[in-house]
Amino acid sequence: MSTYILAIETSCDETSVSIIKDGCDEISTVILSQMDVHANYGGVVPEIASRMHIENITMVIEETLTKANMTMDDITAIAVTYGPGLIGSLLIGLMAAKTLAFIYDKPLVPVHHIAGHIYANNLVKQLEFPLIALVISGGHTDLVYMKEDYSFERLGGTLDDAVGEAYDKVARVINVPYPGGPLVDKLAHTGKDTYNLPLPLDDDSYNFSFSGLKSAVINLVHNEKQKGNEIIPENMAASFQNRVTTILTKKTLRALKELNVKNLIVAGGVAANKGLRERLTEECQKNKINLIIPEIKYCTDNAAMIGAAGYFAYKLGRRADLSLNAKASDKLH
Amino acid sequence: MKYLFIDSATATLVVAIISEDKIIYIHNKVTGKDMSSDIMPIIADAFNKTGLKPQDINKIFAVNGPGSFTGIRVGLAVAKTMAWALKIPVVPISSLEVIASTPNKENNIALIDARRGYVYAGIYDSDLNVIKEDKHILLDNIKDKGTYVSYDDFPGLKPNIDLLKVIKKHENEKGINPHQLNPKYLKLTEAEENLMKKSGNRSN
Repeated sequence: MSTYILAIETSCDETSVSIIKDGCDEISTVILSQMDVHANYGGVVPEIASRMHIENITMVIEETLTKANMTMDDITAIAVTYGPGLIGSLLIGLMAAKTLAFIYDKPLVPVHHIAGHIYANNLVKQLEFPLIALVISGGHTDLVYMKEDYSFERLGGTLDDAVGEAYDKVARVINVPYPGGPLVDKLAHTGKDTYNLPLPLDDDSYNFSFSGLKSAVINLVHNEKQKGNEIIPENMAASFQNRVTTILTKKTLRALKELNVKNLIVAGGVAANKGLRERLTEECQKNKINLIIPEIKYCTDNAAMIGAAGYFAYKLGRRADLSLNAKASDKLH
Repeated sequence: MKYLFIDSATATLVVAIISEDKIIYIHNKVTGKDMSSDIMPIIADAFNKTGLKPQDINKIFAVNGPGSFTGIRVGLAVAKTMAWALKIPVVPISSLEVIASTPNKENNIALIDARRGYVYAGIYDSDLNVIKEDKHILLDNIKDKGTYVSYDDFPGLKPNIDLLKVIKKHENEKGINPHQLNPKYLKLTEAEENLMKKSGNRSN
């Protein structure tokens, strides 16, 4: 018999619900993005995000079921992102999930947001173990080793800014509007690596640091301005992106080599970055590594990935009771 | 008729089941920060203790504000989802009206502290008729006659709510579709206020 997970994800500025069959088959997903609203403020405003989630949550649940031509009776279990994320936002999805679990007497499965990003890849191709996951988003930069399903060992991660955060800050400095990350990526493709920027934290750890690189961009732009020179945004974007992709690729490949792992998956919003996708594809081909990068629609926040992760958590017997609370931060486990 | 009542707008969480004009279950306690953890187990307890099933409920009465933004949303997310799942209507109720149900001979001025000198205030007579609509206002600007009633530190009465009076007042209302049930914050977010100020300045 098939397992159908109804998954809810409201950790940031997307209200999303999805139905996933057996951890790999996407039956239906609805994503209501608030990006246009937050663009007016140059970033996500947590209170506005929470306000929009509560307005839309039941409509998104209903639409997902309607699209799937299913009712709650067809659902095996309910999975929900309990963290990390914005507390006020998380709480809307969490309360809705707990209420559904109670009314329909279904198991409630708590899912870590990053486990979701990793398992987005299972919607593309069944994960093969052992693997290394490079998780890169606006809030995370982590290298994770997985020897089997739902076993997460963090090898290293950012010591300061997440990579997506660094992109957004650099975007602001070179006058690229919100959301800056994807636009910097686009600009980089039309520019040349002409600016002298440092390769950040080029050591033998698996950690990353992007705040120094970000400061180097800010200082360079500032100095050029004082000299009365205009910086070329395309070239600055290309130079910055080149450093970021170089260090991410370098440390990820070293981890694969040192741990003798042949499978790499990339997850999180920054996995949509074209520059990084090209670089990793090339290096993985050279080194005979199986690389899975999800389609762009699975890179950004969505409930399909929570349903995929939720299936494996469900199979492992992970359950929460009705007192489950949201957590702004929590270790991936 | 059987009703579920939920009020999570202040630190005092109220969950009640009303059956044939009687309160057959009530939880009415300060819960504070643990509201999001506590509310569902309390609702489950309400059904357990009364032997009722959620499917027995005909209508949900849900407080939709004003008060703690997060608190309101926690209760409303439950009320919305439950009403949607059970295909029953929801009647939105003012948090200030619930506070104002406290017995008193003169008008009650229900208050919730909104910080920096501001309050959410609503004035109701002893039959819960609205004398002055709920609003976000400087406490110093309230000149009306009546008794302050508040959980917060204002001189006057502490709430001693008469839930049946509130339910009776709204019992015959048809209620709304749960998709349309939304908080009544009475206040924009700071980000929206700042944006409005900015765009206001620009047009000047």
